[in-house]
Amino acid sequence: MNQKEIIELIDNKFGIVKSNIYDEYQLSVVVKKENIFAALALMQLNDFKELSILTAVDWFDRNVFEVVYILFSYTHNQQLILKTEIERDNPEIVSVMKLWEVAETYERDVHEFFGIKFLGNPSLKPFFLHNWLDMPPMRKDFKTQQYSDKVFGKTKEEREK
Amino acid sequence: MIQTSTKDLHDSGFEKVLNFFRKRSMWMLHYCTGCGAMELPPTMTTRWDMERFGIGPMATPRQADLLLITGYLSIKSLKRVIRTYEQMQDPKWVIGFGSCTINGGIYYDSYTVINRLSDYIPVDLTIEGCMPRPEAIMTGFQTLMDAIQKGEAVGYKKYKENYEWYKKNQDSVLGRTEPVFTSSEVKK
Repeated sequence: MNQKEIIELIDNKFGIVKSNIYDEYQLSVVVKKENIFAALALMQLNDFKELSILTAVDWFDRNVFEVVYILFSYTHNQQLILKTEIERDNPEIVSVMKLWEVAETYERDVHEFFGIKFLGNPSLKPFFLHNWLDMPPMRKDFKTQQYSDKVFGKTKEEREK
Repeated sequence: MIQTSTKDLHDSGFEKVLNFFRKRSMWMLHYCTGCGAMELPPTMTTRWDMERFGIGPMATPRQADLLLITGYLSIKSLKRVIRTYEQMQDPKWVIGFGSCTINGGIYYDSYTVINRLSDYIPVDLTIEGCMPRPEAIMTGFQTLMDAIQKGEAVGYKKYKENYEWYKKNQDSVLGRTEPVFTSSEVKK
C-alpha cells in the first residue's frame, strides 16, 4: 500500500478533514473525533501494528486539543500520523487500550499533563508529578514562571526571615 | 591534664587536628541525576585523578563524607536527596555542582525543578558553570579542603541549629496541601 492508497482508504471509509505527505516514509491524516477509534482499528488491520506514541498538542488560540497517534508499519515501511481535534473545555476522547495495551501508559501521561480524559482507561491516576494540585502543567494557559516564582523562588528578604 | 570527653577535646582545639585528617580523607557520594555527572568520570580517572587529593567514590550514604549534587533536582529527587543527606553521618559536606543548584540554571521557570538547593539542605560550596570543567571541580575540592581546615565548612551544624527553617522550606515544596494558584488567578 503506498501513501495515496492509505489516504484513499481512510477517506472512503470516514472522510478525512486534512492530509499531508511529508516525505516518502511519513504522512499525516486528520479525522473527526467520532471516527478516530474506527480509523485506528482500520489501520491496525491494515498492518499498522505498532503504536509508536500517543501524545497531545494544545492549540490555545483555536481552543482545541489535538490528540496525535503515530503508527508504524513494517510491511508498508510507512509512518502514519493520525490526528484528531477535541474541544478544550472538558476534553474527553475514547481510550485505545482495546487496540494497543501499551496505550494505557501513554494515556495516563497525557491525562496528567494535559487533563484529557480517556474514556475506558482505568488507570488515570497521578503519574510523574509529585503531589500536584494545580491545573495540568503542559496547558498553554498554565503560567510556569509564576508557578516557579511562587513555589521555589523567594526574595532575599523572605529568605533571611 | 588528661582529656576525657569528646566535648573537652573539641573545646581545647583538638578539632583542628581532626579537621586536618578529615580534609585529607573524603569519601564522596555523587547524586547523579543532572548532566553535570558527565564531568565526573574524567575527574575521577587518570586524566585529572581525584584520588591524589584523597577523595574517592563511595557507594552508600552512611559511609560517605561528601555529597555531590550534580545538577538540577526535581521535587521527586529532592525528596531522595534529603533522605540521603540525613542518613549521612557527621561530619558531612555538600557540594552544589553547576548553575542549576544555585538559581535553577536553564530550568529557572520549570514547574517541577527547584531553584536554589541551599534552601533545603545546607550547601558548603557551589561550583558555578554549565557544566563546570574538571579543573573547576578540582579547584572546588581544594577550596572545600581549605574551608574544612579552617573550620568554616560547618553546614551540618547549621542544619541541626536551623532545622525548623529547613524543614519548613522542604515542607513548602514536598507537603503542599493546597493549589498554588487560587481559582481567581487561574481565570486571568
